[in-house]
Amino acid sequence: MYPRAFHYHRAGSLTEAVTMLSQLGDDAKLLAGGQSLIPLMKLRFANPGHLVDLNFISGTSYIQEEDGGLRFGALTRHAEIADSALAAKIPIVHDCAAGIADVQVRNRGTIGGSLAEADPSGDWAVVLMTLATEVRCLGTNGERTVPLAGFVKDAYTTALAHDELVSEVRVKIPAKGSGGAYIAFKRSAPVYPTASAAVQLTMDGDVCKDAAIVLGCVGLTAIKVTDAEVALRGHSFTDKAIKAAMEAASAAADPQSDMRGSADYKRTLVGALVKRAIEAASHRARGEQVEVSHIYA
Amino acid sequence: MGPEAAKKNWVGKPLPRKEEDRLLRGRGKFADDIKLREMLYLRFVRSPYAHAKIVSVDVSAAEALPGVVATLTGAELAPQVQPFIEIAPDPGGKIKDYALAVSKVRYQGEPVAAVVAESPSLADDAAELIQVEYEALDPVIDGEEALKDASILHEEAGTNRVWRGVFEYGDADKALKEAAYVVNIDRMHFHRFSSTPLENNVVIAQWDPKDERIYYQCNNSFPSFAIQFLAAHLQVHIDRIRVQTSDIGGSFGIKITTYPQMAVCAMASKKAGGRPVKWVETRSEHMTSSAHGNERTFRDTRVALDKNGVITAIVSRHIDDCGAYPRYEPLGCVIWSQVFPGVYRFKNARIDFSQAVTNKCPVGPNRGYSRMQHLWFLERVVDICAHELGIPPDEMRLRNYIRPEEFPYTTPNGCVYDSGDYPKMLQVAKGLIGWDDWKKKQAEARKQGRVIGIGIGTTLDSGTNNFGQSQIVNPGAPFSGNSQGANCKLDIYGEVVVAVGSCPQGQGHETTAAQVVADVLNIHPDLITVRTGFDTERNVHTGFSGTYASQFAVSGLSAVHGAAQKLKAEMKRLASSVLNTKEDDLEFGAGAQGPEVRARSTGKSINYWGLANIVNVNSAVLPVEMHDVTLNCRYIWRAPFKVPDTVKKYGSLTLTYASQLHIAVLEIDRETFIPRILDYVAVDDCGTVINPGIVEGQVYGATAHGIGAALMETCVYDAVGNMLTSTFSDYTPITAMNMPKVKYGHTETPSPHSYSGAKGMGEGGAAPIHTVSAALQDALFADGIFIDDSFNNADSLFRAMVGKEISQAKQLVRVERRT
Ligand SMILES: Cc1cc2nc3c(=O)[nH]c(=O)nc-3n(C[C@H](O)[C@H](O)[C@H](O)COP(=O)(O)OP(=O)(O)OC[C@H]3O[C@@H](n4cnc5c(N)ncnc54)[C@H](O)[C@@H]3O)c2cc1C
Repeated sequence: MYPRAFHYHRAGSLTEAVTMLSQLGDDAKLLAGGQSLIPLMKLRFANPGHLVDLNFISGTSYIQEEDGGLRFGALTRHAEIADSALAAKIPIVHDCAAGIADVQVRNRGTIGGSLAEADPSGDWAVVLMTLATEVRCLGTNGERTVPLAGFVKDAYTTALAHDELVSEVRVKIPAKGSGGAYIAFKRSAPVYPTASAAVQLTMDGDVCKDAAIVLGCVGLTAIKVTDAEVALRGHSFTDKAIKAAMEAASAAADPQSDMRGSADYKRTLVGALVKRAIEAASHRARGEQVEVSHIYA
Repeated sequence: MGPEAAKKNWVGKPLPRKEEDRLLRGRGKFADDIKLREMLYLRFVRSPYAHAKIVSVDVSAAEALPGVVATLTGAELAPQVQPFIEIAPDPGGKIKDYALAVSKVRYQGEPVAAVVAESPSLADDAAELIQVEYEALDPVIDGEEALKDASILHEEAGTNRVWRGVFEYGDADKALKEAAYVVNIDRMHFHRFSSTPLENNVVIAQWDPKDERIYYQCNNSFPSFAIQFLAAHLQVHIDRIRVQTSDIGGSFGIKITTYPQMAVCAMASKKAGGRPVKWVETRSEHMTSSAHGNERTFRDTRVALDKNGVITAIVSRHIDDCGAYPRYEPLGCVIWSQVFPGVYRFKNARIDFSQAVTNKCPVGPNRGYSRMQHLWFLERVVDICAHELGIPPDEMRLRNYIRPEEFPYTTPNGCVYDSGDYPKMLQVAKGLIGWDDWKKKQAEARKQGRVIGIGIGTTLDSGTNNFGQSQIVNPGAPFSGNSQGANCKLDIYGEVVVAVGSCPQGQGHETTAAQVVADVLNIHPDLITVRTGFDTERNVHTGFSGTYASQFAVSGLSAVHGAAQKLKAEMKRLASSVLNTKEDDLEFGAGAQGPEVRARSTGKSINYWGLANIVNVNSAVLPVEMHDVTLNCRYIWRAPFKVPDTVKKYGSLTLTYASQLHIAVLEIDRETFIPRILDYVAVDDCGTVINPGIVEGQVYGATAHGIGAALMETCVYDAVGNMLTSTFSDYTPITAMNMPKVKYGHTETPSPHSYSGAKGMGEGGAAPIHTVSAALQDALFADGIFIDDSFNNADSLFRAMVGKEISQAKQLVRVERRT
């Protein structure tokens, strides 16, 4: 339960952190909230020789509105996002932040660390895939912007070079008439979901103008269900349309059997979660205030 | 109003717990808080295999690491110790159990070697360097499979069936022949789960080379049992082993069986020249290799019923899976029979009970120990029979419950149920939950395609064991009866100090002991200091001391009461001499100068300081005829038990029987298959209540534990014996967020078997497991699904309801109708 010995470095700025990474090489890892990295180190599954701590860099934790978008500093904690009125302008973002694990994890874990970890069960990528999201990446050669869809490459794999870090996450605020919801089934609060569904809808009266539907925990990365989106787009929410979306979601899911449930069950479950998220999202798209909460065993 | 009438009764009051201030402020003292000079840290190297031969263990690289003080292997340890005592007779008795595996490993997580180093992280580093070579053997994962002996765990025993006994009473065959209905149930299974105390196991051991004594500071919850095993194993005089416990962060029985780890720590300290060695268990170690609860399979059950649905006989074959080493087992092979007929009146039964070893973590007592498995079995039988005969489950219970006028009730196996009123509990619970309303809502919901079930669980928490039942398992076992010690004294300045032999883990013993003494001496409980936590050198323990098995309210408080009475008698003698009056002229109470003894006739008094002063520091004034007065009184309470008839398996096995009646209303979502509790009632009867707040707290805790076990918590092994639930992410212990709002109700039938009318109640009978199963069953009878397992979650419900993979009633239940 104790990590192997490592060298600890405290970075004074993000640029310095990048320099340290490039100098220390492959054996170095960034430390943000530590809520993924530290447990792995304690189990000795991850054994970095150097840790570069980002936590003491000022100005890396913020939520700002600019040009119709929200900018999240890489070190912004889940809890800060959950508590932020600004972030609540995108209700699905609030759903996500408020539903991650428990208070302790939310107080430490960061949005940047979460995306960089690219855990197949992580919540952020699932939710942010339903929105226009860009990840700002800072490297030795300066900063670049990567659309989220291109940022997550595979389970635990991102577009980041070794000496590159996430500096900021930018999310476009959806237009009026658009609403989203994120619902997961969790066996208990401090565990990753069994399956989850993020739905962002743009409504024109009763007709769905646009839909983004993304599934979590049922594949190596978040799964965007184009067939389900097509099933809704241009339609009103008849039982038939919703059923088609549920079925498309179940078909697109590619889950593994594990302690969270059998693959068959997860496939069925994720369809049901999509249905519930559609319902909540459609209310929100109509401007109604609806509380959305995960389902706990 | 006379002074006696003004007397306050502290027993029965919801006095806030004395220990709360300390514990809630984080000022408790737990074993891991203890830091000693020159302390070393121990780490175990554990087997990744469930079943394998140990080919070699190479500790050289670990020993070469700077900061490593010693290593230990099974091969090195074995010649220096005796194998642990086995409670089982042969063949189980032939098992050779060592704290570190010697030639083979028998479960994943079994300790193979240990290393001690200057810091915990160095010990972790060194453990990684120990090379163990294994040769895999066929693992045996299922208890019933194990009985086929295809692959044997313990060659010395020659079989995996470590114990077998037939419990037969009345004439079950005749009853089956004469029955109007016979219900056959092929197989049911009670799952393996555990307790997840906040604090894991901790041992600090110091083998003092100066006087060859071993000093343990630890959180074992039955230390007087542990020292008996340790002394024989380590071959040291038992009085050379000191065990001390401080605050303990939960046990639920699971901390009883830590003596193997305690043995290793002592041997490591010895090898390290007497430096203290600390071992702090990690959560994953706790989940894989501390102890789990007993898993049990019920085969070939036949239930005889008369035309009114009254059960007349039950015949069944039970296979208990105790994991790799029996250890505290096979006590579980008899402990279930404390509640042989449950709350029911049937007189004829034959239970063929076997216990098997498997390549899984050894089991240990786990809240509801061994009885909950059996009670769950009985509750399933009752619900299935009710359904097959078309009798509502509440009505079925009323027809079969032992009746209030039948108490004290002697069960077919000779146990004496002290008191109880199950129909009344049912009535109270139905009232609290709004039974009729829910029945209506259920019917309406069904019409809309919703799946709602309402279930009843009636259970018993038998408390204060007759350890003589160990002789039913092994006629050679040297235990019988039960006892507990306590000490009550006036200290030199007159402070009232009570010491008990228990080691509470949240049960509030400091408070309840103070309430009892406060009533005896007629003073405020705040004036009484209670020393809890076991300490061999405090000399208040007996061979049964510890905190386990729902008994403190009876055994512990009887001892406290006895000691307080003894002290009071001495104080009276002394005061009557000092105040020059007759003893019956004296009264106890609080005066201007603190607690005192007064003469009613003269109004003269002497306070506690005065009395203590004469005995302790002013003893020249003590009259000669008072020289036997010590004001330091030890009392040993003994339970009025006889040794049971070991051939007939007949006798009184426990003193008190608290009862629980829970009702759950539960809905299974048709789309997500997630079961959700809509309403829940827990009614408890533990006789006279000593502290209602503590009792209510215990009920909530036991309810959470049971709901967790029923819906969330299960220990899962794959086909080769990998434990798949070794972290909280996989095991998912219940949290507040998963808890329904629980309505609490209470009935009271005082026990004629305890001085106060109280009954032990800490285990709670695992009522929620039975109740949740019953509610699920009620919801799913219509779908032809049969709740044949005590663990059910969304996934298993999906697999039963949609996949039709498991739990299909047609294959499992068959009814013979003879009318
Ligand atoms: C008990 C528990 C339950 C959890 N449940 C959930 C859950 O339900 N849903 C969920 O989404 N998450 C969950 N998490 C994970 C949590 O959200 C983590 O906080 C998150 O995955 C990682 O963020 P972090 O800031 O803690 O990163 P760290 O653990 O510090 O780092 C994770 C990885 O990312 C790298 N990294 C960190 N910051 C950056 C950066 N700015 N740029 C580049 N690389 C970086 C690190 O080097 C490391 O490799 C849980 C964690 C725990 C302990």
